[in-house]
Amino acid sequence: MIGATSTTDEIVAELANLLRDFEGRYYSDPIGPDTRFFGDLGFSSIDAVLLGEKIETLCGRSLPFHEHAAQLANSGATDLTVGQIAAFLQNCLADRA
Amino acid sequence: MPRLALDNFECHYQQHGAGPDVVLVHGFTSNQAMWLFSGIVTTLATRFRVTTYDLRGHGLSGAPAAGYTADVVARDFRLLHERLGVGPAYVVGHSFGGVVAMQAALDEPRRIAGIILCDTYFPGLAHLEPNMENAEVWTGLRSSFQATGVDIGAAVDFRRLFDALPGLTVDQRDILQAKLGAPGVRWLAQLGPLTGTTAAEDVFQAAGLTAERICQVSQPVVALYDERTPFAATRDFLATHLPNCRVDTVPGSGHLALLENPAGFVERVERNLDLLAGR
Repeated sequence: MIGATSTTDEIVAELANLLRDFEGRYYSDPIGPDTRFFGDLGFSSIDAVLLGEKIETLCGRSLPFHEHAAQLANSGATDLTVGQIAAFLQNCLADRA
Repeated sequence: MPRLALDNFECHYQQHGAGPDVVLVHGFTSNQAMWLFSGIVTTLATRFRVTTYDLRGHGLSGAPAAGYTADVVARDFRLLHERLGVGPAYVVGHSFGGVVAMQAALDEPRRIAGIILCDTYFPGLAHLEPNMENAEVWTGLRSSFQATGVDIGAAVDFRRLFDALPGLTVDQRDILQAKLGAPGVRWLAQLGPLTGTTAAEDVFQAAGLTAERICQVSQPVVALYDERTPFAATRDFLATHLPNCRVDTVPGSGHLALLENPAGFVERVERNLDLLAGR
């Protein structure tokens, strides 16, 4: 479970566990903060929707993941790193602690 | 994760916000991520309850082998609407999503308060659009495939596109990535479940939604068409023949406004929803 006191490293490790075997798709290379959700892991946009739902389950609360992803996309970002997802989670959980 | 059992598949949906109901219905070969990651859900959820979902065969919903004509898919809409307890809804339908909205409005009018059709092509109005194969969204896709040595044909034919996908080599995928960009390749990659169904053929069936029936939709309709729409004749027909239809235009786009001009698209949908809702 990821919580308000989780460190960035702990959140990245939890995300790596989640993404390593995502819906039956196994990723064998190391997963770290710079791993790209689309470019490296080969996921599609609907996988990002599912990821948002899974991290809500992991955190035990509703999170505005789609808002965050939309902001990144509208700022010109074409991918999403594990580190960015971890930072988003850490900010959300700290705000709501 | 939000799933709802419908007749013969599990439907994946999300709801955000509070207020009058808005349902966003994506187009053929797309999924609800197009709405969620464009910012439109965030914008609308400040004053509407926004429901998005994956049509059968799309996104994270199940993919029955058959039943992809508008009448069946509109039944899915009605079941979802009923089981989620959605009130009379403003429906924003992109492309085929607009066909679903119009069919649902005819089948059970009380469920639909108004419709925004976003660059929608109707199989029942095919006679108005004899040059659909010239749509830039298809000619661009065909040109990209031709660079790989694969021809998906001049006529819009999703079966031919679906059949081409499994045989693509890594090199061909690299060429497509260079031509279509990463989002284009991600779009192709998520088509798998749909390819094993009758959807490619069904989506072009009028399934009873004839010109005469379309003209019987009595709810207010906004025909929001792209500036370079391939379906201008359809837009003009709707403006002339529907009892309550207003036309609006998204500048700088040619069918995929949410990708080509997301800010312009969201602004116009928001403005027209406010007009429909009397705000």
